[in-house]
Amino acid sequence: MNPNYNTTERELEYSLPFGPAHPGPGNFAVKLRLDGEKVVSAKADPGYLHRGFEKLMEYRTPIQNAVLSDRICVFEPLNWNLVHAQAVDELMDWNVPERAKYIRVVMVELSRIQSHIIWYGSMSKAIGFDTGFKLAFGYRDYILDLFENITGGRVYPAGYICPGGVRKDLGKNMPEKIRKTLNKINDMLSKFEKFDNLSILVRTKGVGILPLKKAIQLGATGPVLRASGLKTDIRKDDPYEIYSKLDFDIPTEKLGDSYSRLLILRREVRESIKIINQALNNMPKGNVIIPSLNSGTHINLPKGEVYVRNECSRGEGAMYMVGDGTEKPYRCKIRGPSLLHQIPVLEYLLKGSQIADVPAIYWSLNPCPADMDR
Amino acid sequence: MNKYLEYQKENRIIRKISSKFKVEVSIQRKRRVWVAVSKKDLVEISNFIKGIGFKHLSAISVTDLIKEKNYELTYHVWSYQDNTLLTIKTRINRDKPTIDSVVSIWEDNAQIHERELHELFGVEFKNNPNLTPLFLEDWNNTPPFRKDFNWRDYVRDEFYNKENKREEPYWDAPL
Repeated sequence: MNPNYNTTERELEYSLPFGPAHPGPGNFAVKLRLDGEKVVSAKADPGYLHRGFEKLMEYRTPIQNAVLSDRICVFEPLNWNLVHAQAVDELMDWNVPERAKYIRVVMVELSRIQSHIIWYGSMSKAIGFDTGFKLAFGYRDYILDLFENITGGRVYPAGYICPGGVRKDLGKNMPEKIRKTLNKINDMLSKFEKFDNLSILVRTKGVGILPLKKAIQLGATGPVLRASGLKTDIRKDDPYEIYSKLDFDIPTEKLGDSYSRLLILRREVRESIKIINQALNNMPKGNVIIPSLNSGTHINLPKGEVYVRNECSRGEGAMYMVGDGTEKPYRCKIRGPSLLHQIPVLEYLLKGSQIADVPAIYWSLNPCPADMDR
Repeated sequence: MNKYLEYQKENRIIRKISSKFKVEVSIQRKRRVWVAVSKKDLVEISNFIKGIGFKHLSAISVTDLIKEKNYELTYHVWSYQDNTLLTIKTRINRDKPTIDSVVSIWEDNAQIHERELHELFGVEFKNNPNLTPLFLEDWNNTPPFRKDFNWRDYVRDEFYNKENKREEPYWDAPL
């Protein structure tokens, strides 16, 4: 052994990249600095999925952008369809037909359920609980079947929720099919609840605690913020579409660890089922898109600016759109929830954690590199 | 409904702000208030509105007003108490885009947004501790989201070869 070899604390540190070529984080990387098993510091490294949507949208008309908005987040394209459609609706001062609003809400909540199922699945996979992963992705397919029936696409609906309404009406048997699928999702939830005594509890309880004050300071929104204890939901606080007419609860937890985020996930799926059932029961008849609007209609966005906020399944999704009287938006700013969840929140939570807990913390934030990089 | 009663909450916020500062205010609709301020008042006003409950910085955005040779910065701030979105607008010179950072007010949240805008628009945020690039790798061209950066030209020049016969159509196509 080299007599000059001096094992000071500094020298025992080493760095470990978590991603991007790793099944865990997707198109995203975290550079970890480790001291043995302990994470000393974490540095997020985004940019692997940057496509520049904000710039691309400046070159396209709203109808084209509706299709583009699918791709902002891979796991919840319909939610982002709605954010874009609402921005154009508000800028144009359009009165969207009542039936379209109901269909939009049904689709967005279905999308939220399948996104939460992915969340559960990938979380299970991350902590080495493969049964949960397979079960979740199996059940997700029932919802994808519905999407294929309604929009024509399983994952990407190609701008189904478009400015002025929705592209196509629901089929005649669709409400019945949706209800049947929701029953299956209910079965799935009760299965998930039974798994609590298994590895999930051991691996997630007390891991990655985010106190409420820190959560607000770091800009956490949506389920992550609610798991830390703030009762807030854009669907209630800043209501859009028909949410003010619907009856649903905002689930909250106090501790803010990975396990409470998992609990929020399950309870939110229950609330979404409640919302869809109400919307299906009260759905009026009528047009699903503004009658004068068809694919060839020339739309000129008037001068003005709007800021639209939506509760996406991951948190606050927002769009700032500026019109200048031409057919293309002058500026589109997209605000994705994952930008803050994956950089400041993740860096804060990983610091001081154990290396084995890194995947459990990462996936408990329900991250999506696509809506972070845009 | 009486317009005053309808916008009671919004008017209360406006009164609070305009009692302290000289600003241009407008109510767009329920829960949407817009405030235009001058560049030098930005930090002071931000500090004040955080004190009255606007704790969540939803986004910061830059609009490149190329004809007026200005950048318009918009700070979208949400209050969890009043359930209102306040947007602060301010303009800076497009050729020398420098502005004071709001990191001292909205902390890590603002830091990320400013870091993104520094990269995509080239805005210099004074006192922001870390403005390293987020998305782009080894970029030394014009900031890509500026209106005078033509990405179609850039992609063609950078990634297509004029001598390659199969890529010829890209050079003939109109931009």
